[in-house]
Amino acid sequence: MQAMAETRSPEHLLPALARALVISGSYYLLSLSLTVGSGSLAAVAGCVAACVWTARQDHAQPLGGLRMPVILLAATLLALAGTVLGSLIASSGLAAALLGPVAAFHLAEGVKWLCFSFTLTGAVRMLALRSSAGGVIEVLLVATGFVIILSAHRNGMINRPFFLGDFALSRGLDPATVLLATGCAAVLLLAGLLLVEENRRRLPYHFALLGLLCLSLVGYVRSFGLPTPQMTDDLGLTGNSAQRRENPFHDGENSIENKQAPVAVVVFRDDYEPAGGAYYFRESAYSQWNGHMLDFASHPEMDRDLIPAPGAPARETAASEGRKPVSTTIGTLVPHRSPFGLVAPVAMENAPNPNNLRFKRTWDAQSLAPDFDLNELFGLAAGNPRWPEEVREEYLRLPDDPRYSELAREITGGLQSRYAADPFAQAWAVKTYLDRNGIYSLANEHAYADDPAASFLFGDLTGYCMHFAFASTYLLRSLGIPARVGIGYSVPAANRGGGSSLLIQAIHGHAWPEIYFEGYGWVIVDPAPQRTLVDMTTDPQNELQQLLGDMLRGEEAFAEFLQQQTGFAINWQWLGYALPALLAALVLAGYAVKLYRLWIPGLAGFGPRHRLSYRAALDQLAAVGIRRRFGESREDFARRAGGAAPALETLTMWHLAQALGGRGGSPDDSDWSGMRRRLGAEIRRNTSIGKRALAALHPFSWLYSR
Amino acid sequence: MNWDTALRETGDDQAPDEPFGLGEAIGVLQRLRDVVRSQVIGRDDVIELVIIALIADGHVLLEDFPGSGKTTLAKALGEAIDDDRGSEHFIAPFRRIQFTPDLLPSDVTGVPVFDSASNAFHFRHGPIFAHVVLADEINRTSPKVQAAMLEAMGEKQVTVDNVTYPLDELFFVIATQNPLDMVGTYPLPVPQLDRFLFKISMEHIDRQAELEVLDTWRSRRDQGAGGTVLKRDEILASRAAIDRKVAIADIVKSTLVDISRNLRTDERVLQGNSTRSLVLLLPALQAAAALRGRDFVSAGDIELLLPRVLGHRLELAPGAADLKRILHDNMREPMERLAASTLA
Repeated sequence: MQAMAETRSPEHLLPALARALVISGSYYLLSLSLTVGSGSLAAVAGCVAACVWTARQDHAQPLGGLRMPVILLAATLLALAGTVLGSLIASSGLAAALLGPVAAFHLAEGVKWLCFSFTLTGAVRMLALRSSAGGVIEVLLVATGFVIILSAHRNGMINRPFFLGDFALSRGLDPATVLLATGCAAVLLLAGLLLVEENRRRLPYHFALLGLLCLSLVGYVRSFGLPTPQMTDDLGLTGNSAQRRENPFHDGENSIENKQAPVAVVVFRDDYEPAGGAYYFRESAYSQWNGHMLDFASHPEMDRDLIPAPGAPARETAASEGRKPVSTTIGTLVPHRSPFGLVAPVAMENAPNPNNLRFKRTWDAQSLAPDFDLNELFGLAAGNPRWPEEVREEYLRLPDDPRYSELAREITGGLQSRYAADPFAQAWAVKTYLDRNGIYSLANEHAYADDPAASFLFGDLTGYCMHFAFASTYLLRSLGIPARVGIGYSVPAANRGGGSSLLIQAIHGHAWPEIYFEGYGWVIVDPAPQRTLVDMTTDPQNELQQLLGDMLRGEEAFAEFLQQQTGFAINWQWLGYALPALLAALVLAGYAVKLYRLWIPGLAGFGPRHRLSYRAALDQLAAVGIRRRFGESREDFARRAGGAAPALETLTMWHLAQALGGRGGSPDDSDWSGMRRRLGAEIRRNTSIGKRALAALHPFSWLYSR
Repeated sequence: MNWDTALRETGDDQAPDEPFGLGEAIGVLQRLRDVVRSQVIGRDDVIELVIIALIADGHVLLEDFPGSGKTTLAKALGEAIDDDRGSEHFIAPFRRIQFTPDLLPSDVTGVPVFDSASNAFHFRHGPIFAHVVLADEINRTSPKVQAAMLEAMGEKQVTVDNVTYPLDELFFVIATQNPLDMVGTYPLPVPQLDRFLFKISMEHIDRQAELEVLDTWRSRRDQGAGGTVLKRDEILASRAAIDRKVAIADIVKSTLVDISRNLRTDERVLQGNSTRSLVLLLPALQAAAALRGRDFVSAGDIELLLPRVLGHRLELAPGAADLKRILHDNMREPMERLAASTLA
């Protein structure tokens, strides 16, 4: 507040605050995807502080004694110091011990972002004040802030900030356009502010060009949409082509970026809570040995439980022992190769798409979700007795590698004798072995080995879900347990957060081993390595989850929400009539004011004659382009305008005498009107008819008189 | 409708009991200007400023080259004023003092001399006892003399041997200094410069005026001074009338204050102007308005006088040289407010 109070006058305060608003807005957006709430807040605070600080001295340059390189160096050092201090706070135990780890983390982020935004804004502001190119850098910085949200809005799925994205979504607008328009408005406002700054080297047409660029960008996005990068995940679940799968092992190509991108949303129609702490959605399964590794089944009798497409008839009555029917509605946000459903899906029907802009495809899925106690599985025989022998054999084939059965025997060797031959106990032993010894990692070197699973299992035991799933499947098969690799999504149950919708994100793509138990069907026994090198936690993005869920449900909640919004909805057709009407009204109002100001001096009793008459005279002159400059005294203006309208000098003298307290010679009304007539005659004599016609037509010429 | 005559008429109408109205005062100023103009060619701006300073009871420092008409100007002004109080008053209309390093204070103020006839000391008045004193090259003399001179200017009195002799009420000093030839001088420090209302830097007169000087110098020499056209009392009465009758609107005062405040916070200015300078400026603004036939102070008067009043009172920061620019920057907004206020 001290700094604000010292700002000299509202004329300086207002642009400074507007600028702070625009720049801090871009910082806010920039920081949203990079830091926590306290970091964003600190970024905004630092930016506003820098803006106000630089605006405090209005004609003296801040830090006038320092050269620009020195300032830039100091800014860099300060930013570095902030980062180091932030990391120190985060890493040292002191702050955590004093404030608790969460507060310490927030403090560290706050310090980091405060220093960063203050120094960057300060340096750029200084550049803008000192050189003409600096202004461009400032505009670019803000533009970048707004562009980054476009790229950070993750392929059109997450439109941060939500209040803007949701606002657009609920009205059926493309959030990208709204965000772009916001960015453009910010850039243009900033450009305008830069122009207002007295720096003669900035020419209006530079910024006009910038505005044109911005508008064409908006236009481009409006008509062609944003370039959306092709979304694929490491499991090959998504993508347009239904071609044969590629090598499912990507190893070195895995990357963590874009992992949070939402790929689908699921609405639960029935109450269901998974016992294992995760929802599994199966898309397909690798079950048949193709001589090299497991592949999609081509044998007509295999994997009859899988549903190739919504609406396709189920080829097998599903095992229903210990299972609960759950119906869900699923909407994909990116193209998928085949539909998926909550394990185990038994029927899928295409559902009407409530929002084409948002969902690529929607379907209703009926599932028989596992609701049994795992203990029930002890003592059951693995495999389906109705399978023909060749199918059972297919489910038992594995690479010709004796190490699998050796390791499997070793793992199961420790089982108590009564469980030694029990399939589920053996499967649990395999899972436990992998849980204890496996290390979850996305970067490893097994992909191009002849048998990646062997390379993983007998090597460093470091891999990701695909390795674990294949390895345990082979181990199980070597024990004579029919098993396959299920692929799809696995979402932590906590992500649902009590709502009825669940957001599936790219990182949830998963593969897991499944075992067939008589009566229970395919049961997932998913290894969960205790050691992991990857942070798999995600922001569940509850607002988006709920919004998309409401939208997908297409029911009262969303309809109500829409209803609520219709009060504010824009009726475009109405706008089509209203805008021109508004413009016409504005023009008419302009004429009314113009005429009022010209005629009012002739009527008595409307205020001091010397003001009204003189103002009318100035209006007449302003209309033909003779205007007083800023800071020019009235006498000087009268002298300058004297060539075209000598009567103005007398009028000015009379006006000033009255306004500034002269007592001598008060001209009466007839003097004023006589002199006004003379002025009119002089204007007619000295200006071209075209200019006068334009002057008469201009509804707002009076705005120029001062 | 003629503005000047209107003023003159109303000036009489408004105050019939006062013998000397604003109209007469304006007449006095214009007569004085005309008579000096007839003697000094091509210096109309300087003549106006000098007359304004005379009416505003200030003193003037001229920075100019030798032979540019300073003496002529001062002499014409001094000789135009007639003191009709009789010979017992020892005030000369005009005196010129050439300041040299070996000048003594008593050379300026006067000295008590023993008169053998009356057997007593008599004070012999120095050249400072005049209506108009031209202090030529004031920076060439020792600080002691400068101090005596400046005391006289500030207090309108001289003190010799503990006896104080008052100067005339109409005591007006035009001091000069050469802006280039600074060797062996004692430059006046800023506080002493503060005693001068205006510091006026003169420029060479234009070609036409110079030709006219050459054409008419003989006739002007032969004719001598323009003769006395004004009485001392008339000038004092105009001074009083202008002080009373010329209005200074509140917005004008706030404009002056805003400009000074701007200047004081400008980084290019080490030390801004004093409040006293604004107080001194007010009568000058009134005189300038009257000289232009107005009975109110307007923006034009500020624009004319402010640079002359503040120029020698501001101490600029090292490296800042462009006083005009600094003044312009700091005047723009207050002056715009002044202009805008008349319509509001």
